[in-house]
Order: sequence, then structure tokens, then C-alpha cells
Amino acid sequence: MPDFQAYQGEGEPRFANGVELECAKLLDYYGIPWAYEPRTFVLEQDEQGRVVEAFTPDFYLPEQDLYLELTVMKQSLVTRKNRKLRKLRERYPDVNAKLFYRRDIERLAQRYRLDLAS
Amino acid sequence: MELGAEIAADYEDREPILVASLKTAIVFVADLSRALPIVHNLDFIALAGYDGNGGGGRQVRLLKDLSMSINGRHVLLVEDIVDTGLTLNYLAKTLLLREPASLGAVTLLDRPYRRLVEDLPVRYVGFTVPDEFFVGYGFDQDERYRNLPDLRLLKHAAERA
Repeated sequence: MPDFQAYQGEGEPRFANGVELECAKLLDYYGIPWAYEPRTFVLEQDEQGRVVEAFTPDFYLPEQDLYLELTVMKQSLVTRKNRKLRKLRERYPDVNAKLFYRRDIERLAQRYRLDLAS
Repeated sequence: MELGAEIAADYEDREPILVASLKTAIVFVADLSRALPIVHNLDFIALAGYDGNGGGGRQVRLLKDLSMSINGRHVLLVEDIVDTGLTLNYLAKTLLLREPASLGAVTLLDRPYRRLVEDLPVRYVGFTVPDEFFVGYGFDQDERYRNLPDLRLLKHAAERA
């Protein structure tokens, strides 16, 4: 694991996949402070108050006050994530969140030579 | 060029320095400079592009610095494209440390829907473009096609080259 300079979290981040790692390296390179999965947003609770749906965006950029979720799924398969993001915006209107789709990530990879295979 | 007239109106009597980031913006800045009917200066800056090895203390750095002082001057950064905003954000932060009188940016192309950094000094935008890969007019693919006289989608450039 690289020794990240702009990482704002505690403990070593445990990325779910290579795309998240590459994104972290890119942010670090440009000196953009970032945290990994620092907050889980409750989207739905049942009548007893138990959480039945939640959303944990991959990254938080404190200087931008922006949550960033990456998805490598095909466009046709991101409906669930889109729905979660919509719910997040409805329930937390002050939260700024953005979903980066597979196509966005591929463009980033093209421009910044990211290794998405890892 | 409409941008030239707009910038000239805003910067008249301020003798701005156009700072173009190498290499892609060279064609744009050459046209912009000639379309700017006010006294202005030109300078260039180059950043080491990300090579896939961020983290581990590796951070962006200047490959070529400005040749003139910008302290107290009006600076207009000239960019080829702004999408995530990572590069422009770094450049703006770096140049602001040198205390220019003002700092703005003009970009030929803009992809605002891909921003990761929002607080950017972009004042002038040539075109907001869709999510396509352009070459020509300074834009390259592996250093090819920069010489094409106008912007083209990559598949078209490959067909014509």
C-alpha cells in the first residue's frame, strides 16, 4: 500500500478494488485531501428504527465537501446506485455527492494512465 | 475569436500575462494571443503529468517554471481543457502563492460534469463539450495528431491521418 500524503482518515484504507486504489493515488498525486468511506448515510429505517438501507460513498474530499462514489458496473447495471444517490440527495439535501460511472473512470484512466486492471 | 474580445474588454489597461500550460494549450494560446487586441505578455509552465504512480510521496511537480515574475500582475491561465479540475487547481494554488494582482483562467474546452474540484478560477470557456476524446489543435493521443489544424474526434483523425 502506498504511503499516502493527502489521506485524512485513521488507519490504513482497505480499498474494495483496484479502481478505488488508483483514484486514491490520483488524488494524492495532486495533493487533494481525501478520506475513504468516512461516513455511512442511513437511507431507510423500518418502524422499529432499524436501518434497512444505507449508503457509504467511497471517498470524501473535505476541501471540496464532496462525497464521491465510483462504480465500474456497466451503465445498464447502475440503476441501484443511481437510486441510492437519489435517495441520499432527498434525505440529505445539504450533502454534495457525485457518482463516477465506468465511462468517467475509463476517461480518467485514458488521461492519467491509471492501471484499472489491478 | 470571441474570447479575445471578451478578455480584452475585461483586461484593458491591465497588461495581463497569459500563462499557458504546456503542451496541449500551445495552439490555443497562439490563436488567443493574436485575437487579443490589448497589450499582454506570454509565458509558459509545464507540470509533470500523472504517470500512474501517485501515492508514496509522489506528488505533482513543475517541469518548467515561469520565466517572469507574476507578483502584482494580472494573470490569466490558459488551459486546453478542464474536466476534473485537478491540474488547474494545483496550478492556481501554486501561482497564488506568488501574489499576483488577480488570477483567472480561460479554457478552450470544458467538461463541468466531471469536476472533482469546484472552486476554480475559470472565467472564460470556449466550448462545453461532451464526453468524447478529441485530437488535433494541440490535443494528442500518445503525442500524435497535435498538428491537425482543427479539433476532431479520435476515430475521425485516425481515418484521415
